[in-house]
Amino acid sequence: MKAKMVKNVILNTIVFIVVATTLLPFYFMLTTALKTNKGSVAFPPQIFPTEMTLQHFMDVLNPAIFPFWRYFFNSLQVAFTTALLAVIIGSMGAYSLAKLDFPGRKLIQEGSLVVYMFSGILLVVPLFKIISGIGLYDNKFALVITCLVTTLPATLFMLSSYFTSIPVSLEEAAMIDGLSRFQVIYKIVMPLSIPAIMSVFAYVFMIAWNDFLFSSILLSTPDNMTLPIGLRQLFSSKDYVWGRMMAASFLTAVPVVFMFSLVERFITGGLVAGGVKE
Amino acid sequence: MSRSSFKRAESRLGFLFILPTLVLISSIIIYPICYNIYLSFHRVSLNPLKPHKFVELKNYLTLLSDASFVNSLLLTFAYVFTTVIMSTAVGLLIALLMNRKFKGRGIARSLVILPYVAPVISLVFVWQYMFNGIYGIVNYVTVDMLHLFNAPPAWFDHPVLSMALVVLFDTWRVFPYSFMMILAAMQAIDDSLYEAADIDGANSWRKFRAITMPEILPVVGSLVVLRSIWNFYKFDDVYLLTKQVPIMGVYLYETAFSVNDYGLAAAITVILFIIVMTMVFLMRRGGLRR
Repeated sequence: MKAKMVKNVILNTIVFIVVATTLLPFYFMLTTALKTNKGSVAFPPQIFPTEMTLQHFMDVLNPAIFPFWRYFFNSLQVAFTTALLAVIIGSMGAYSLAKLDFPGRKLIQEGSLVVYMFSGILLVVPLFKIISGIGLYDNKFALVITCLVTTLPATLFMLSSYFTSIPVSLEEAAMIDGLSRFQVIYKIVMPLSIPAIMSVFAYVFMIAWNDFLFSSILLSTPDNMTLPIGLRQLFSSKDYVWGRMMAASFLTAVPVVFMFSLVERFITGGLVAGGVKE
Repeated sequence: MSRSSFKRAESRLGFLFILPTLVLISSIIIYPICYNIYLSFHRVSLNPLKPHKFVELKNYLTLLSDASFVNSLLLTFAYVFTTVIMSTAVGLLIALLMNRKFKGRGIARSLVILPYVAPVISLVFVWQYMFNGIYGIVNYVTVDMLHLFNAPPAWFDHPVLSMALVVLFDTWRVFPYSFMMILAAMQAIDDSLYEAADIDGANSWRKFRAITMPEILPVVGSLVVLRSIWNFYKFDDVYLLTKQVPIMGVYLYETAFSVNDYGLAAAITVILFIIVMTMVFLMRRGGLRR
């Protein structure tokens, strides 16, 4: 009994240390955002801020000082549109791959997994040339399409494995009852797939919201910039104010962390299914 | 409706539904890949009205004779090797820990995933603060408290230290992915196996070797391959953290967008393609053997 208690204490201590170490940067992000300018550059560094202020958050959110809201709405627009399109196009494609038979289906299924490996930096040079060639440079729509397509293979995989788990007999019964294929999708398959659709939405939203690479090559004017590149540009000069930088970083992280926490239960399973084909 | 006309309708609908996906993937991935191969054999003109000049293999020859390119390639292999081992090992250890029963397990599991979810830019900024040479907490602890270094290490300016920094950052950022996958594989193991082992008097190490390891090994294998591919063309966190670690992604980006030599950058991309393709091929063969 006593040995078990000791074991428990050790286990809990280790867990605490692991979680605390992992979250340490987040702790510093928040506390530095609350420190005064003097406090953030104090030596020895302050682990607990001696003096706290909300000034940096107010500065960051004040449009007269800082274009945070403009970048925020650009990011929101890009991430929301991308996620919405991913859900629509992904559901159609995934339903087709999961439930309908047509020539070339296997090839597309296999091909999309290979395509999954070719994104990011490998597409940057030709995409930049093509997109500037057709006059979509510095256009948020180009970013939306790029983020949409680079996440599409994962979207298809997550959704089609979910659709496959819905029994065919359910759909057949509904069709015998006189529902058309569209009605079956709209009235039976989609409502049953809400968890999967929500996780895909959150996953794509997260990728588009966090994207730095494609935004940095596709967008150029401050009016169009999303948070990652906007912040990078604002804070690339050496005379930055740590407090503002951390407040802006914190506010940039909040929406995705919040969204992730809502669907975490589903998304962790989905990521697993999407990554490993077992 | 007859059986065969139903089938035809099904197949038409199936094609119709997949069409948007096909159009998008063809125009945003497949066409650019082909176009990139074309570019890699040309001197790409910056003026859109002027045609590109065909230069045969010149871009490739330039690269292969360039020490900085070869150096970048070797650096990338070193980066991939260390980050893959570390992120997988850390993910495995934390999965083992979080698979035990304790109070608050659910919340602990969610919290350690945060580095994987938050935007890179925010995380890079706070790391820059924590590793700052003058008032950063890391140097305070390692130099002033533990005396591990004689002089304050220049994390962002010294090539070796910068490499350590980006490896550490990537490990911290992506271990949650390995953690999630390995944990899911562990949860799928039948409890009765462990109960039987308990009856036989097996200790924890024996149970890990005989039951857990064989079950999670396929997942760990896939993880290693996937992470190797992804980290092979890693760009953003390394680029944002320091200028001292020009791995392939950074080298490619700079060639294209700082030097503006798109032909050369296209040739780098093709070489990366070939390496990644080889990795994908090896992965698929490995997958078949299982």
